[in-house]
Amino acid sequence: MTGEPLGGTVVRRVRTDSLEGRPAEDAVLVERAQHGDTEAYGELVRRYQALATRTAYMITGLSAEAEDAAQDGFTKAYFALGRFRSGAPFRPWLLRIVANEAKNRRKAAGRRATVDLSVAEDRPSGDTALSPEEAALASERRTFVLGALGKLREEDRLVIAYRYFMQLSEAEMADALGCPRGTVKSRLSRAIARLREITTGESGADA
Amino acid sequence: MRERLDDRDLERTLSDVGGRFEGPRRDLWPAVRARIEERRARPWWSRLNARTLAPVAATLAIILVAAFLLTPDLAARAAQVLGLPGVQIYPVPENPTGRPATSALTFAGQRVATAAEASRIAGFIVRTPAALGDPSAIYVETAPVRVTIVYKSVKGIPVSPQAGVSAIVVEFKGTIETQIMAKAIGPGTTLDAVPLGGSVAYYLAGQPHQFFFRDPAGNLQPETLRLAGNTLLWEEGGFTYRLEAEVSREEAVRIASTLR
Repeated sequence: MTGEPLGGTVVRRVRTDSLEGRPAEDAVLVERAQHGDTEAYGELVRRYQALATRTAYMITGLSAEAEDAAQDGFTKAYFALGRFRSGAPFRPWLLRIVANEAKNRRKAAGRRATVDLSVAEDRPSGDTALSPEEAALASERRTFVLGALGKLREEDRLVIAYRYFMQLSEAEMADALGCPRGTVKSRLSRAIARLREITTGESGADA
Repeated sequence: MRERLDDRDLERTLSDVGGRFEGPRRDLWPAVRARIEERRARPWWSRLNARTLAPVAATLAIILVAAFLLTPDLAARAAQVLGLPGVQIYPVPENPTGRPATSALTFAGQRVATAAEASRIAGFIVRTPAALGDPSAIYVETAPVRVTIVYKSVKGIPVSPQAGVSAIVVEFKGTIETQIMAKAIGPGTTLDAVPLGGSVAYYLAGQPHQFFFRDPAGNLQPETLRLAGNTLLWEEGGFTYRLEAEVSREEAVRIASTLR
């Protein structure tokens, strides 16, 4: 029995879509897709489309282009499944392909260095207990930090996004960034330091 | 922002931001599935990764240019793998029928007066062959970037009855991976590899042939302009050039060598 009666309804323990990934299930789906089961690949696409789009968005800064890059990334990944190392985690491998696709698009478009990022402001995110003043301050901070993020180098922005926005593990970050595991921590702290430099400079300039 | 964020505030704000990114506005799977099916339907060689093929193509290019001296047909048959940056050449069993000649010739893109202005819009230095004199008009398209230089009347080059101009030069930055232009050649069209400034150029002549260009949506569209003339294709400094004019192979190479 997984649930218990509560006021006439049954509360079930719902298995959360863990951000740590579900390697066993991914591996099964990948294997089925490698054997030509397109629908199994569809499940992987649906599972990771939010992460893939977010990764692309960090690079392109445009929702429509991020979705396009994610789609192309998924397509490329499908045809690259033959080269996917069995037993390896799928998620960082996919994100690396998507990020490359987004970088190529950005390069081809020859856009300037700054990327405009924004988030949904009306979306509750656990801060419902905040007073109106606190909520306003939190919103101001978000806009400020996003503005600073947009000024970072692509690689710094990506390492911060993988850690804070996607909660990737260090091993996954290393795979997704294509760098040795030992360097992930230092890359992240350097990126944070640069973000801090920008935020400090700007808050100082405004003060 | 007047306050300074301390490390904890910064981390907390980052986590807060992370929870607020919106997902894709639509399910991506139907579009991905369509792209997978579309790519599957393509011939097997187009699915090969251009990056891994590049060294092979380069080697083949050298072999083919050498082999061309012995068997001219070979160059035509194997031209598809030569890959000028941004160009693909497809041998076809039949010559494609071009669009009927129209009296009102239209060029795509923004018309500009000078090469300098074209360079500014295109984002690269637009070069013109000195041998053709001053251009009559220059058109710049931006998605993908492509510059078309039109020469209405050049002494010694007949005016094409199809297009009403003597010559055109098209320039774009192509890569092996992004195919901007495609070209179908059938029987009756000859393809020669000719030396040009230490590199190789390709000279197409004979029966009318059809060019295709990628439109902004990525689809191949037949070129609206068709001189039915002879064509020289070459690459220089990462840019691909196409000269189309009713001139001999030697004359085309001479004109190409005056690119300034």
